[in-house]
Parts: sequence; C-alpha cells; structure tokens
Amino acid sequence: MKRLLTILLLVLSFTSYSQCVSNQSSTIVPAGPYTSGQVVTVNYTLGTFTQLNVNWIIAFQINLGAGWTNLTPVIAPGNPGGSGGYWLWDLQNTYPSGLNFGPGWRFVNTGFNPDWGTASTGPFTMSFQVTVAQTCTADNLSISMNVFGDCLTGGWNNGACCTDPAYQIYNGNVQVVTPITSSINHY
Amino acid sequence: MNYKENKQVLLTLFITMIMMVTTIFTFGQTTINPDTVCVNAIAEQYFVTNTPTSTYQWTITGGGGALQTGQGSNSITVDWGGVSGLYPNAVEIIESNANGCPGNPVLLDVYVLDLSGNPVGPFCPGDPTTPLVGSPAGGTWSGTGVVANTFQPSSAGVGNYVLTYSMAGCNTTINVVVNNGPVTGPIQHY
Repeated sequence: MKRLLTILLLVLSFTSYSQCVSNQSSTIVPAGPYTSGQVVTVNYTLGTFTQLNVNWIIAFQINLGAGWTNLTPVIAPGNPGGSGGYWLWDLQNTYPSGLNFGPGWRFVNTGFNPDWGTASTGPFTMSFQVTVAQTCTADNLSISMNVFGDCLTGGWNNGACCTDPAYQIYNGNVQVVTPITSSINHY
Repeated sequence: MNYKENKQVLLTLFITMIMMVTTIFTFGQTTINPDTVCVNAIAEQYFVTNTPTSTYQWTITGGGGALQTGQGSNSITVDWGGVSGLYPNAVEIIESNANGCPGNPVLLDVYVLDLSGNPVGPFCPGDPTTPLVGSPAGGTWSGTGVVANTFQPSSAGVGNYVLTYSMAGCNTTINVVVNNGPVTGPIQHY
C-alpha cells in the first residue's frame, strides 16, 4: 500500500512539474509594503526553460496590480545559446494564436520564423522598475511573471503546450497614509 | 515607601510633566466644543496644527458665518452673524496630504451668543439694592455700584453709570441713573 501511494505521489509530482519553467527566483528592492510614489526595482531570473514538445521560450509577461504605474525596463533577458534574434520590450502584442501579450519582453526570432521563440533554455535574468501610483485607496500591488512558449502564441504546434502558472513576485496593497487633523482651536 | 519606590514615583511625575508641557506647546490651546462667539463677531481666528505639506478645506455652515481669509491653509478668519443660537458642525475642516488623500473631517459646534441686560432704575440714593438680570443667565455684572451682581444706589451715589454684563468674552451694557433726592428745608412754625 505504501509503495502504491509513493508511486501515485511520484506520478502526481511528475504531472505537476511537467511544465517548462523551473528554478525561478526574484528580488524586489526596496522591500514592501509601499506607499504612493515609491519606485521599486524587480530582478527576476528563470533558471531553466525545459522545451516540452520542442516548445521554445518566446515571452516574459509582467502582470501588475492596478496600484502600479510607470513600468520601465532596466535589463533585458539574455539569450545564452539561443536562436538568432533579440528580446523586444513591448507593451502589447497580439500573437497569431490570439494571445494578448504585454507588457514585458518578447523574443523576435530573426532566423527562421519571427513567431518562434529562442532555442535557449536559460538562465534568463531581467530587471525592471515600477512605481506605486498616486492613490488614496489600498490598490492592488501584486507583481507576477508569466513565461510563454511558442506553442501558446501560435508559432509552434507539436502537442501539449507549456502552461506554467504565473510566478508571484510580490503580493500586497498600497499603504494609504491619510492625515490626522488636530482639533479645531479658536483664539 | 522606600527610596526605590520614591524614585519611581518622582520619575513618573517628571515624565507626566514633560508630556503635559509637550502637549501644551504642540497644540497651543484646546477649544471646548461647542465654541462660543459673540453675535456679529468679526475676524474670529480658527486653526489646526499645521502640516506644511497638507492643504486644508474649511467649510462654515450656519450662524451667519462667512469665511474671510485663509482658505487652503491651517488658519482662517470668520465673521459671524447676528442670530444667536447653537449651530452644530458650524466649522468643518478636511485636511489632505501631499498625495491628495483626505483625512477624516474635524468639526466644531459654535454657539453664537447674544447678551442682553434688563434695564433698572432710575434710582434715588437711598433706594434699596436691586438685582441685575442678564440674559442668558450665568454672566457677571461690573461697574460702579455693582456688588455681587446687584446694584447699590447708595454705593454708587448720584450720577449716570454704564454697567456691563459679561459672559464668555462677550459684553453688553445698560445705563443706570441715580438721581438727587429732594432737598427738604427745615420745618417752619408760623
């Protein structure tokens, strides 16, 4: 019975981690919580992209809560051992599959097909800055990263796609500071 | 109480005193709610503790009040009207910080005070002491011949006097006359 359970767990584990993204990490400076006007720098690294069904990595999409503004790229991902092309900072792009991408970096393959990604498996390190918007409400300040393979974007069709969940970089809300007024005095 | 306990009590008293002094210097004064002003008072100054990066939105409601100067700042002047009575939330302020975020409104009730004094006299020097009545009650009378909110013609003597009724910084006056009594000659015998 124990052996059967172990096998079952191994199968489940394999299923859960059979996607393409692994060894993700991030830092965010300064650490939260945040108030309006603060600028933070996010560093994100994808350690390995496993090319399931020859899916190639094609895009890093940054997902921001409503409390953020002024997203600015700082360091674009590298392309170690990858295909010819470059990582393009883009605010919005609709892929052939209809996937609405953006903002973030997307790879433009200049060798074979622009809708293929890059053959690189990483590591990919990138950095961006983002600012807490002026607000008087506790707006959402979540930051997460989606990694897309070219199967999802419609550039490649060879069986199951990489469907990794978004990697959560930060969760929180704007710390709203409201003034505390003294009592009214009369001379 | 031993030495150690005495030391602890003294230290507590010292800290309390420091806190009281700090509070006084920080807020300057505290106005009791409701605030009292006189009818038709002009340039009455209201203020809150200033935060340099904040802006202040004042609203004057009722009492015939009109904001004269200082809108946007932590200190304003107000002219009040001529109808007495209690006006709830007559002064309101909303402070917004540098991000434009408003704080909770702070309110002050205002009582517009209209004093009046009942006329008395005219008197003769020998008339008895007469109570002085002001409205609303609770104020203080002052002037020549006034003793404990009464008028004593014998103390005042012959003359015209202005007596003042005061309350909460407001004043009103009445005029009182003490006339000469008749001067009767000696009794004659025909």
